[in-house]
Amino acid sequence: MRALIIDDSAVMRKVIERALGQAGLDLSEVLQASNGEEALQTLRDNPGGANALGLILSDINMPVMDGLQFLEARKQQNLAPGVPVVMITTEGNETFVMRAIAAGAQGYICKPFTAEQVKARVLPLLRAAV
Amino acid sequence: MANVQDEAVTRLDSAVSEVFETMLARSCDPLDGEVDTVEGRIVARIQFTGAVDGECLLYASQATASVTAEALLGTPSEPHDPMVADAIGELCNMIAGGWKSKLASPDSNCTISTPAVTRDGFEGYQARFTTRFSRNYSFQGNVFGVVLAF
Repeated sequence: MRALIIDDSAVMRKVIERALGQAGLDLSEVLQASNGEEALQTLRDNPGGANALGLILSDINMPVMDGLQFLEARKQQNLAPGVPVVMITTEGNETFVMRAIAAGAQGYICKPFTAEQVKARVLPLLRAAV
Repeated sequence: MANVQDEAVTRLDSAVSEVFETMLARSCDPLDGEVDTVEGRIVARIQFTGAVDGECLLYASQATASVTAEALLGTPSEPHDPMVADAIGELCNMIAGGWKSKLASPDSNCTISTPAVTRDGFEGYQARFTTRFSRNYSFQGNVFGVVLAF
């Protein structure tokens, strides 16, 4: 499975990738984007098919295009519509969670997080998406 | 005001401890005493806007910053590696976010900025904030400071 990690911090992208590995996900490739705009381009460059993306994890608070704007644009442009999106962010208040869910996110993980928390949020979504 | 500050300090201690235990697998404890100014230090800043108006600054020596980045990434870092500044910024981000979520009511409308990190100097917090305090913390003998103003 291929995953896309969106975060303006290269450190957090590495930490999230490591957590996915510790959670037992068998990832063939991890794509990275540092903001929503880059992520949209990545989705355009990686259409569906046998090698399609299986999971998107996104921060909310990013420069250029934030995670909520990314979700809205992805929905409007119908990019990777069946791929589950999990938000990983420090913005854990109810307002942001509701906005993210309304914009198409299926899950939410608050920083700081453990690999177990990642596993608990991500695996059910992947099973449901099969 | 003392109660507000005491509560803020308690929640900051809790946020720092949670970030270190969860993300770095390290215990981190508050230290008594004033913030020390360290030459060559690295400073990260997060700003709060909305229901909470203020800022959080995290500063560390280059050596402590490197050790912190190494613990977060699980790989060795050089002091001037860009990943070190990135790691300190993210640490400040998680601590500020944790503090904010513990302080504010769950539905309060408060946003936090992306982290700004500098190695060139420390401008200090803005004078308009009425509550300000600083705390030092130590993990495995490595000391860093956090300043909160709101």
